[in-house]
Amino acid sequence: MQRRSVVVGVGESSYYKRGTAQETEFQLACIAIRNAVEDAGLDLSEIDGFVSHMESRNDPMRLSRALGVETLDFAAQPWGGGGNGVAAGIMLADAAVSGGLAKCVVAFRALAQGQFGRFGQARMANRLYGAANYSALYGLLSPAHICAMQTRRFMHDHHISQEALADIALACYANAQLNPRALRCGKPLSREQYHASRWIVEPFHLFDCCPENDGAAAIVITTPERAKDLRKKPVPILAAAQGLDAGDGFGAFNERNFPTAFYRNVGKRIWERSGVRPADVDVAQFYENFTGPVLIAMSEMGFAPPDGIEEFVSNGALEGPDARLPFNTSGGNLGEAYIHGFELINEAVRQVRGESTCQVENVELSLAVAGPGFSPGSAVLFCRD
Amino acid sequence: MSRYLGDAWALPYLDPQIRPFFSSGVIRIQVCRSCDAPQHPPDDVCHACQGTEFSHRDSAGLGTVHSFIIVHHPVHPALTERVPYAVALITLDDMPQIRVCGNIVDAAPEAVSIGQPVRATFEEIHDAETGEDLTIPQWETLTG
Ligand SMILES: [Zn+2]
Repeated sequence: MQRRSVVVGVGESSYYKRGTAQETEFQLACIAIRNAVEDAGLDLSEIDGFVSHMESRNDPMRLSRALGVETLDFAAQPWGGGGNGVAAGIMLADAAVSGGLAKCVVAFRALAQGQFGRFGQARMANRLYGAANYSALYGLLSPAHICAMQTRRFMHDHHISQEALADIALACYANAQLNPRALRCGKPLSREQYHASRWIVEPFHLFDCCPENDGAAAIVITTPERAKDLRKKPVPILAAAQGLDAGDGFGAFNERNFPTAFYRNVGKRIWERSGVRPADVDVAQFYENFTGPVLIAMSEMGFAPPDGIEEFVSNGALEGPDARLPFNTSGGNLGEAYIHGFELINEAVRQVRGESTCQVENVELSLAVAGPGFSPGSAVLFCRD
Repeated sequence: MSRYLGDAWALPYLDPQIRPFFSSGVIRIQVCRSCDAPQHPPDDVCHACQGTEFSHRDSAGLGTVHSFIIVHHPVHPALTERVPYAVALITLDDMPQIRVCGNIVDAAPEAVSIGQPVRATFEEIHDAETGEDLTIPQWETLTG
């Protein structure tokens, strides 16, 4: 096994209900990065690279100056706009550090949607251009609508009931009750409340949909050599992947494998590169923009065949530290906070360190799978040093 | 003719690639001149042979509901009075690899189901701003 780079610091800002952050988005980014660098025991001046995903405002030039970076050697973002890129950002940092292009790369994401507007809101005028004509003209407008279309067909093909979607939401909410940082801590969810909640877009109830929040999260990635005398035990990146399966790169529901979450190739590469199997994974974070696509991503990553995925997630199989597959142990996008999936990366690292509020015993392998339903997918697998 | 989502809903801007689908009065799909492969939505390059010249093929306009959603929460103010509405994904019977979105204009949202046979119908609209005459593809149910 080739271990190429290691995570040495994890940090975040406070997380807020959307629109209520006291800080600006750039301030949130700097707070999260400072906390991650401090957690590592590094000096800010040692940071020489930045990666993010779908970031357009908190650019590395501005960050370098604000944070007092000595020299900037690497700055990049993955293609593909959305939470599907969160693990691809880590992959780029891993590639830069292991390839010798940079020594201490910060990966981060900051969101202040009160300051800059929301994803879930349709941004359209009374005139449609390009590919939007083929969907928006008919009222198919938001990420929820796209994922609902995929989920409905997946449920039909594999005889999946609404209870499987509920199982995803209930696991996230249950785990959030253990995490004081989680915005849903103290607000438990019952199966009855789930079913009684209003429809947003069938087959998604209110509790199938993640909220939008304000906050920032960051990690620091460096070489095993530099990690040796730092404060925390390093968490190696065992494998990372980003990609697509053949025929899946062109959207509007004409992908060859529709309904796909875009994780067929990502799963293949993660297991190929790591030399382990899904059954070896001790704890997994799956980006839940909506519950349904998690079921698709989980089966495409190889945890269970699509026809068996409902059984795989049912009867509390995902809830708590002793679950069959401990899942979204910080509460995830639904329960902790929607920091565009970066909170899941931090949680995956914390599980290897033994610092989770829903700590799984003896974690050797900790997986984080990025956003499903939008291409290309990405994932990262952390391991014990 | 009144539109499924209301007459105030957005209209397409018809560039040469988009115009055939929304103004021909049939379900008109882009086809590669070199290899005859249909693709949707249209693209600048053929996904089968990388050809760059295209013609079109008209579907007979019969299809099957492949998936659908029922929108309850209006994500745009113009749809507040229109929810709940259904959006369906239709597989064309004579080009089964092609899927197109549309509304099932003669059925209540809760009556839409996967496998439902449908037939194309067209919303005829004169776009006063651009002067274009549009035929927006929509779908109505066929009883087996
Ligand atoms: Zn061709």
